[in-house]
Amino acid sequence: MPTDLDTLAREKLSQVLRDHPDPAGLDLGEDLVETYGITSLNKVLFLTSLCKAAEVGLGNFTEDDLAGMRTLGDVVDALRPHAPLKG
Amino acid sequence: MTASIINRIIAERPAHDGSLTVTGLGHRTTLPLAEFHDRARSVAAALSRRGVGAGDRIGILSANRLEWVLLDVAALMLGAQTAGFEPGKFSPDAELVAGYALDALYTDVRLPGDAPSRVLPISAVTGYAEEDADGFEPVQWAATQCTTVKFTSGSTGVPKGLEATAGSIDSSLHAVQSLFEHGPGDDVLTFLPLSLLQQRYWLYSALHWGHDITITTYQSVFAVLPAVRPTVVMGVPAFFDTAKRHIEGVIAGGVEPAKAAAELFGDRIRYLWTGSAPADPATLRFYDEAGLAIFEGYGLNETCITTKNHPGAHREGSVGRVLPGKEVIIDDEGVVCVRSDHPVNTAYTYAAPGDSESVFRPGGIVRTGDLGRLDEDGFLYILGRSDDVIVLDNAKKIIVRPIETRFRDTGAVAECVVYCPSPAGLVAVVSPHPGPVDTAVIDEALAAVNAASERDERIIRVIVADEPFTVEGGLLTSQFKPIRKRIADRYRDRIDNPKAGIHAH
Repeated sequence: MPTDLDTLAREKLSQVLRDHPDPAGLDLGEDLVETYGITSLNKVLFLTSLCKAAEVGLGNFTEDDLAGMRTLGDVVDALRPHAPLKG
Repeated sequence: MTASIINRIIAERPAHDGSLTVTGLGHRTTLPLAEFHDRARSVAAALSRRGVGAGDRIGILSANRLEWVLLDVAALMLGAQTAGFEPGKFSPDAELVAGYALDALYTDVRLPGDAPSRVLPISAVTGYAEEDADGFEPVQWAATQCTTVKFTSGSTGVPKGLEATAGSIDSSLHAVQSLFEHGPGDDVLTFLPLSLLQQRYWLYSALHWGHDITITTYQSVFAVLPAVRPTVVMGVPAFFDTAKRHIEGVIAGGVEPAKAAAELFGDRIRYLWTGSAPADPATLRFYDEAGLAIFEGYGLNETCITTKNHPGAHREGSVGRVLPGKEVIIDDEGVVCVRSDHPVNTAYTYAAPGDSESVFRPGGIVRTGDLGRLDEDGFLYILGRSDDVIVLDNAKKIIVRPIETRFRDTGAVAECVVYCPSPAGLVAVVSPHPGPVDTAVIDEALAAVNAASERDERIIRVIVADEPFTVEGGLLTSQFKPIRKRIADRYRDRIDNPKAGIHAH
C-alpha cells in the first residue's frame, strides 16, 4: 500500500493508461493529454480512482479544476491540501 | 398516434413526483419537475417581454446546465425554435447569428467585445426564471411544425442543419416508451451534449411519464455515476468501452464483476442504452456477463430512432426490430431506407446543394446510406456505410466497416479507418491507445486481421496516427465516430506514400 500521494497518483495513472507503464517512469511534468494521450473520460476516471484511494472527497473539485490539471504534478498539487496522506 | 407529448408537457404542470438533477464535479442541484415547469414558464414570459415570440429562433451554445433545458422548454412554450450548437465547434459571433437567422443566442462562452446585442450570457436565464410568469400561456404545436434545428455530425465540412417536426419527436417518445416503460423509480442519466436533440428527449419523457432525470457532462460523468445511482444510462460505444476497461482493471484486482460494475455505474441499473455508432460485440457481452443489460439501436438524425433492441426483443449482432411508426425498406443496392409516419423533415434547412436530394425521398423516406439486412423476424443488421464502400478496379465492392471493426476488436488500436489510395491495396489509419505506441502489437494485429480477411480486403499498410483521435482534436464526432474525411486530410501524405507506415508481411 503506497503511503505517499505522489506514488499513489503514479499508480492510478498507470492503471488508466492502456499499456500500464511502470509508475515510477511516469513524469510529473508531462502533459497528460499530449504525452500520455489521456482522454476526458479517462481523466475523470483517473481522478475518481485517485481520490477514492487517497480518501479525498471528489466534491473538493470542479470541472474547471479538472481542466486545470494538465500534468500529474498538477493533480498531486490539487489533491495535497485535502489528503490525509503525506507527500 | 396518440396525443402530443410535446403539447402536454408544455401545457400541464407535472402532477407527479419526478425530479431533475443537474450535477457535475463539485455541484449538484435537484428540483421537482413541477418546479422546473414553473421556472420554464417564467423564462418563457421573460423572453416574451424581451421581444422573443412564436416563430423566432433561439440559439443555445453552451455546455450542459440547468439554463440550457430551461431555455429549451421555455422556447417550446413560446412557439419559438431552438438551435442547439455543440460547444467548442461554434463561436458566439455575428456570423453565427446571421448564418442561422438567430433572434437571440445564449451562451456560456465569454462574449467577444464586438458580440452582437442579440448574444447574451446564458447565466441571464437564471434571473428570467425568478421573474413573474404574468399569466403567460404556452402555445400548442402542430405535428408538422418544427421545434428545433439539429445539426448532423457530418463526415464532411460544415454541419448540415435539419429542422425537426413536433410530430417526429412525439412519435419517437411514444415508441421508446412502449419498449422500456420508464416511470416513477427510474432515473435516466444523460451526459452527451444537450445540443443533440435525443438527449433532450429524456427530459420530455421525464416531464410526461414522471421518472427522474439527471443531466451531467462527459467531463464529470464517471465522477457522479456512483452517487447518482441511475437506472438507465445513455451512452455511445466509446463511453462503454472506456468504462469496460476500467471495470476490467478492478476485476483484475480481485473484485467480483457485478460488484466492480456497480462500483462505477451504481447499484440500480435497469439497462444501458448504446447507439450512434456500432458497438463492439465483446463490449456488449462484457456488460451482459457483468449483469448489466445493454441494448443497441439504430437511427440517424434524419430518421430519428428507427430500431432498438429491448428487454422484450433482443437479438445479438442486430440493432433491434423496427419501432412503431417506422418502416425499414432495404433497396435494390442493399441500402437501408427508413419510412416514417411522422418524418423528421423532408429536406435539410442548411446544406450544400444536392445534399437533401441524396437523402430525402418522396413519401417520408430517408435513404440512410447504410447497408443492411433484415432477418426473418424483423431484426435489422447493419453491414456498413454505403458511403464507405470501396469499389476496386476488379469491380468488387469492399465494405470497409467490418474490416475496421475487425482491426479495432483486436484490442491493439482504439480506432481504425480504411482507405484505398491506389490499386496496390487498402491502407489503414489507426488511432493508438493512450500511452506509448507498441508497433509490434499493431504489427501482430495487422497480420491477424489480414489472415481473417478475403484477399481483396487485406490491408497492405498501417499508418499510426500521431495521437489518439479525439473529439477535441476534430477527428471524432461528438458521438465518438471517426470523421473519415478529416482523418484522410490530416494523414494524406502518409496514406499516399507507399513507403510510410507499418507494412504487412
